Amino acid sequence: MQIQVKCNCGDGKCPEWAIIELQGVVESQLAISDQINGLEIGHLCCSSLSSSSQLSYIFTVGYHELSGTKVQLKKPLLVLKKKAAVDAAGPEFPASSATELEVIGIIRQKILFKTRPKALISRAQAKKLS
Amino acid sequence: MGMELEMEMEMEMDIPAPEELEWLESIALLPDEGEEEEEFSMEHDEDAAAIAFDDHEANGDEQNRLQSEVTERSAAEAIQHQTTKKRLWSAENEDSLGGSQKHILDEGRGAKRFALQNEADEDWLRCSPQKDSDTVGGTSVPDVPLPDVVAEETILSRFATDIDGECMPVTSPSGVRVYAKMSIAEIGGGRGKVLASRPERGLLLEPISILSKKAEEEALAKALQDSLGSRDQPTHAIPHMVDEQLWVEKYAPSSFKELLSDERTNREVLLWLKQWDSSVFGSQIRATEDEVLSALRLHSSVVQHRRFIGHRSFSHKNKGPPLSNQYLKTSNFLDGEGMLESWSRKSIFNHPPEQKVLLLCGPPGLGKTTLAHIAAKHCGYHVLEINASDDRSASMIESKVLDVVQMNSVMPHSKPKCLIIDEIDGALGEGKGAVDVILKMISVEKKSIVDKENAANEATPGKNSSRKGHKTTMLCRPVICICNDVYAPALRALRQVAKVHMFVQPTVSRVVNRLKFICEREGLRTNRSALSALAEYTDCDIRSCLNTLQFLNKKKEALNILELGSQVVGRKDMTRSVTDVWKEVFQKRKSKGETKLINGCSEHGAFDFTYSLISNRGEYELTMDGIHENFLRLSYHDPMMRKTVKCLNLLGVSDSVLRYVLRTQQMSLYAYQPPIAIAMGHLIAQVEKPNIEWPRTYHRFRALLAEKKESLKTWISKISPLISRHLLTKSFVEDVVSPLLHILSPPTLRPVALHLLSEREKDDLCQLVDTMVCFSITYRNSKPELPEKTQRYGATTNAVPLSLDPPLHDYVNFKEYQSQHFGLSGAMKQILVHEADKHRILRESTAKNINLYDQRNNGNLALANVSAEATPVMNATSVTSNRGDHKSKVLLGQRQNVAICSSVSVPEGKKFLSRGLNLKAPGASKKSSKDSYSFFDRFRKGSNTNSNVPGEALQEVATIERDSRPLIFKYNEGFTNAVKRPVRIRDLLL
Repeated sequence: MQIQVKCNCGDGKCPEWAIIELQGVVESQLAISDQINGLEIGHLCCSSLSSSSQLSYIFTVGYHELSGTKVQLKKPLLVLKKKAAVDAAGPEFPASSATELEVIGIIRQKILFKTRPKALISRAQAKKLS
Repeated sequence: MGMELEMEMEMEMDIPAPEELEWLESIALLPDEGEEEEEFSMEHDEDAAAIAFDDHEANGDEQNRLQSEVTERSAAEAIQHQTTKKRLWSAENEDSLGGSQKHILDEGRGAKRFALQNEADEDWLRCSPQKDSDTVGGTSVPDVPLPDVVAEETILSRFATDIDGECMPVTSPSGVRVYAKMSIAEIGGGRGKVLASRPERGLLLEPISILSKKAEEEALAKALQDSLGSRDQPTHAIPHMVDEQLWVEKYAPSSFKELLSDERTNREVLLWLKQWDSSVFGSQIRATEDEVLSALRLHSSVVQHRRFIGHRSFSHKNKGPPLSNQYLKTSNFLDGEGMLESWSRKSIFNHPPEQKVLLLCGPPGLGKTTLAHIAAKHCGYHVLEINASDDRSASMIESKVLDVVQMNSVMPHSKPKCLIIDEIDGALGEGKGAVDVILKMISVEKKSIVDKENAANEATPGKNSSRKGHKTTMLCRPVICICNDVYAPALRALRQVAKVHMFVQPTVSRVVNRLKFICEREGLRTNRSALSALAEYTDCDIRSCLNTLQFLNKKKEALNILELGSQVVGRKDMTRSVTDVWKEVFQKRKSKGETKLINGCSEHGAFDFTYSLISNRGEYELTMDGIHENFLRLSYHDPMMRKTVKCLNLLGVSDSVLRYVLRTQQMSLYAYQPPIAIAMGHLIAQVEKPNIEWPRTYHRFRALLAEKKESLKTWISKISPLISRHLLTKSFVEDVVSPLLHILSPPTLRPVALHLLSEREKDDLCQLVDTMVCFSITYRNSKPELPEKTQRYGATTNAVPLSLDPPLHDYVNFKEYQSQHFGLSGAMKQILVHEADKHRILRESTAKNINLYDQRNNGNLALANVSAEATPVMNATSVTSNRGDHKSKVLLGQRQNVAICSSVSVPEGKKFLSRGLNLKAPGASKKSSKDSYSFFDRFRKGSNTNSNVPGEALQEVATIERDSRPLIFKYNEGFTNAVKRPVRIRDLLL
């Protein structure tokens, strides 16, 4: 069965997305178990410090600093958006599915953080309290 | 037989000069004569020995005279016997026989006689030192190789002027110079004779040149020895000369017949050894048996034994048996027959005896080692001895034992070996190695026997081969162990598998006979009674007897019956068991006949004896312990308790001395221990046998102390450091335990349900629970022994009795001491346990929650505000509820202050609120929880107030910092299926 996807943007103009892959989980602090909306996870920076062609990325979450690399996916992924069927299209394809999928972006690469995070402890005091 | 004898006689001939040998040889070539004379010569042998003996014993003076005048007389004799073709030296021997010339027969017979006499001569030379010296003058004549002197017309003289005509000086190695008359014609004839007989040398084992060389060397050695002893007066008789050899060794039995130990034991040991024959020697069993039989037969006749001593002690080993066999033919003995039968019965079984190890035990000086050696030699083994002076580590022993026991010797003397482990009980730790090795081998053997049986059941023809396979690990040579104390703990295991022979003391008369004999030999004047006293004194230890006698002989003293104690020397170093020491202390010596004899110095002697006994034993701590624990059991007469007090004082002195020694390592102070014990013995010793028990109390209580200390330590470590830092383990028992016990079991507490308690009582209870938790004391089901005990009494115990968890009661309880502490009822204890548990859990949760609440409240200001409002209310309530609780009031005040001025303390109020909500427990527990809270708070507050304002500021910064990171990252470790194992870094570096 063929699934038709609709792409509004032109050829080669699909917005590029990226995956961030972490070895681990991002958790909220105990005090704010529910209200995680609008909270900043961390900072992701790209740094080309290393002489090699690969860029290195540094991701800071909480008091951890993770460093990772950009990896090309073997198979690109599409980011789709499910939409309710538009009535206008109805008469043309009466038997077709009621929903349609719209391509939002295409993912060709991911940033992989697989190394052990580096702890960012500025002061001994902070450590003691936490 | 006749040929054999001849051969031996020729072997004996190696002492005289080579010419003599040749001459003899020419005679010995006539075989028929040898055959015919066999019997006769045997008789003569006996005769000669007997005569020699008589001579020796009866008229030593005459001997001396004879020997010293030998030169002059020999000249006369030579002339006298010219017609009988006798030569000078044989004539001289004839002379010394004291007129036995009429026995002279033909040449060959004379030669044999000479041989025997010569042998007797040799015996004299070696066994009696003074004779030895006497014969110096004589020996120089026959021993010096004098080719020309042998001629018939020769005359020897000390002075050249005595000799007419031509003479030549002859100097012996000892420096004695004699002059020999020369006759040219005779010399030529003699030479011719010698040369003529030379080619006929077929029967000798060694070429004559070697034999002559040997003879020369021997003569030289002898002369040297003699000259050492009597250089200044070579011709005079010296009554006491230097004798390097110990009598003990000199008169040690050299064959089975001479053993002094109990005959029965001797035979059993021999029998045991013979049982090995079939497995060790195989087919040789018959050959050796005759030997043993003859030995036993001879052994039973004391007279012959005596007669033969002179021969046997020096004759070669292989010479003895044929002689005795000869003897058997002419003599009849009854007792050998039974033994023969039993042996032949035993020897049917073709395997070694059931018990592979023989254990000989008994006090020193009874001849255990001698018996083992003699018996083993007698049975044809090569003896290998391991004794206390050898290296006796387990591995060494093992290799040695394996060598001996499993290997066939490849050495030239291809006798099988027999292992004798002497003084196996000597060194405990080391001796044990040997015991273990032997035990292991025996156990291996047992297993192999079982296997063998199985194998035999399966296939009978294959039996032989399977057995051979096992032989490599089996114990297949006899092992004889010798010990003094059969009940030594190291030997316990060995005792079960070994054949044990206890040595008993030989009868005094037997020992005395032997001593007397030796004394006569050595020319020491003694009387029988003195010797028997000596034997009794040394417990028939013949070694020490002989040593003493030799010592006295050397000092030229007579054996003094009154001073035996001081005269006895050379006792084998013997340590008695510690029980003996205690017995000696506690038991008065009955005055025996022996002590009556030395009445005057008995007190002194007893002191000396006890002193040496105790100091030889060494372990003073143990000795004094034993005395301490046992002396009160003695039934000594002491109405005023004076003796007891004295004894205890003495023990105190001993103890302090011991402790001082331990502290300062001044071992010389140990010398003061025995007198203390002796003094106590004088005070309390009784005649009846004391019932001595091994001292165990000291060690028991030491173990108990260590155990209690350990439990106290673990308990104190369980208490929170805030309290435990004030408790010293040292002074805890003295200072704290008793009051603490009073606090823990207040008599005011009514054993009723909680809700029935009054407010005050509830308060008390809560305080008690608090104390219990703080000190981490609880009640626990007591050990299982106690319920058992109650069950034994018939009471059904539904409720297991509860006792304090750290057994505080035990710390202050002594034997038969009833402490005055009030005991809580079982129900009350139950309640307390319950409450204390609840309390503890609450506290733990509080400790956990503090941080949690902090975070949450700070994160949520609105909530904090609400709680802040609630705080004063709660404070008010708590104030009202805490009647008179000063501490908590102060704390509350603090808390209020903090609540006002800082945001950090806000959560505390919240906490308090939540606590209030949490607790739906009855009042008591609620209050207790509050107490705990306040206690905990105090803890926190302390740190807070210490760090003061900067600390709080820091804390604020930290919270802000933390709040800036609402999300945190948690790294997942991951896992691998790889096998992990530790690797050393040095392995990687290589």
